[in-house]
Amino acid sequence: MNNQSLVISDSKQEIPTPQGYRLFSIGEHAHLLIEKQAVIRNTWLLIALFCACVVTLGSGTMPISPTEVIAVLFGHGDAMSQFIVQDLRLPRLLAGLFTGAAFSLAGCLMQTIARNRLATPGIIGIDNAAMAFAVSSIVGTGISLAPSAMALAGAATATALAFGLAGGSGTRGYRFIVAGIGIGAIAGAVTQLLLSQVSIDVANSAYPWTVGSLSAREPLMVNLLGAGLVICLVACLFFSTQFALMPFSDQVITGLGANIKHIRIIALTLCITLTGLAVAVAGPVGLVALVGPEIARVLAKYRGIPLVSSALTGALVMILADLFGRTVLSPIELPVGIVTAVVGGPYLIWILVRRSSRNSL
Amino acid sequence: MTVTSLHNDKISHPTFQSRLGASKLTLKHGKVCIIENLDVSLPEGKVTAIVGPNGCGKSTLLNGLSRVHAPSSGVVLLDGKDIHCLPSKEVARRLALLPQDTLAPDGITIEELIRFGRHPHQSLLKQWAMDDQQAIDYALDAADLQGLKDRLLDTLSGGQRQRAWIAMSIAQETPLLLLDEPTSALDLGHQIEVFELIRNLSRQGKTLAMVVHDLPSACRYSDHIIAMKKGEIITQGSPKEVMTKELVRELYGVECDLIPDPMTGSPILINMKRVRS
Repeated sequence: MNNQSLVISDSKQEIPTPQGYRLFSIGEHAHLLIEKQAVIRNTWLLIALFCACVVTLGSGTMPISPTEVIAVLFGHGDAMSQFIVQDLRLPRLLAGLFTGAAFSLAGCLMQTIARNRLATPGIIGIDNAAMAFAVSSIVGTGISLAPSAMALAGAATATALAFGLAGGSGTRGYRFIVAGIGIGAIAGAVTQLLLSQVSIDVANSAYPWTVGSLSAREPLMVNLLGAGLVICLVACLFFSTQFALMPFSDQVITGLGANIKHIRIIALTLCITLTGLAVAVAGPVGLVALVGPEIARVLAKYRGIPLVSSALTGALVMILADLFGRTVLSPIELPVGIVTAVVGGPYLIWILVRRSSRNSL
Repeated sequence: MTVTSLHNDKISHPTFQSRLGASKLTLKHGKVCIIENLDVSLPEGKVTAIVGPNGCGKSTLLNGLSRVHAPSSGVVLLDGKDIHCLPSKEVARRLALLPQDTLAPDGITIEELIRFGRHPHQSLLKQWAMDDQQAIDYALDAADLQGLKDRLLDTLSGGQRQRAWIAMSIAQETPLLLLDEPTSALDLGHQIEVFELIRNLSRQGKTLAMVVHDLPSACRYSDHIIAMKKGEIITQGSPKEVMTKELVRELYGVECDLIPDPMTGSPILINMKRVRS
């Protein structure tokens, strides 16, 4: 799409395209079918995201005007603003953008392969296990000893356990999910047990990891997540036509020449990678995985599988929730996980109720 | 080929040309053996009807032939090659399947559904071409859906919806098409509509196989009948050769008389009574 050499096919005969689509031909051999609605939708989401970023970067104890923020982003502005925006606020913003996009994209993938709009990566226990590991590192040592790395290790452990318990294959999906639910429940219980055994101060410092917060992030993890997110997004685009077949029954998918096992494994791998990396940055903010894709589906009018839109809406939800959490009770900071739960929960219920009145789940 | 027959004098072993068949095919659901050591082949360019009582393995056989159900032993041969060794997309360009339960994405229009039939012809870098649009237009015409192409699938009647699914298979442009109970849950008018569409496709040179429950329709709209019971083929051949009182009793435990349709000559069942088989 962003290639300069692309031209609309002007061969002898114009190829008629389906309504609402546009054909981009790059050279002789590449013919990409692009949905106009999706391009428009994602452009608007990007604009909204940019505005939200500017507002976020400008707000805080030292308010900075949007024009000044934009100037700083393009390398101008005075030294003070530059320091505040680039060194203090930008890292947190990036963490919010990446985790929101990753959780939401992972949620969209999970809902696609589970064929259930209420499925999230959380149900396979990844975020609970990450939480348990992060909390145990804080509780065990009394100081936060790389809880991010522990969270990542927890996510990996949960995944490995779920795969192991599901018989190594994971291809059937459901066994894998049932195993994951069990692991998540155990990890949740372990976290509670650990917190109940330590002094209130230690429990307090472990607290952000139990609700999800952007304040405890580590730069290395944020960079890792950023790289992982880009790779997973590209992979999603690469496999998008196959993911689009998932709403059909298994027989139809096979009949159309796609391999349903491969589709499931690819989607599950992407989902686990994204969730694991995001949880290592922000802890469990699982609700974004439910709210982000749902908003994307509403915007897409419940047609197709809005992967890119999900990533964008997830990022938007995350930074708006964090902005809200930082400013509404300032100087007290509400963890982003609580804000998404308090604001996102009712919104989600509203969407689901409204939707169920005209269509079944 | 081991075709055990009730009337050995009338049935010859199949000598027809065939692109799709199975040899020593065993299909299991978990540990339960549904079909064991079955040899079968579909006559090329004909409509084959697979008939038999519930649970006799008709649908399982169709799923086996279309590589949806992997065999425990034996092979399914498509153009002489093991179907599970061919790339799935390659198979999907030669063989289309219309299964019984047809779940579809939300809010999809007829034309969009049919467009999915082009999936095996498309790839990451070839997402759309002239022949895609032509195939879709052809399928819309063949299934008489041009006027409905922008309607949502959910808003259609059962017959229209079934035609849309068949149109999706037509757009797949395969020489072979397998249909699992394409007319179940349709009223008489819509049943005939779908059967006539199937016959038209056969006249254009396609090889079709369908699982059918209604015997008179099976006789009327097919060229070849495969009668199955308990996972075995008890007889096969042209409707006139195969359809007898004895077969009906053997398959369904129903006593009846057969008379030829005055117009078409194909057998009609009358005077039906349930007996213990």
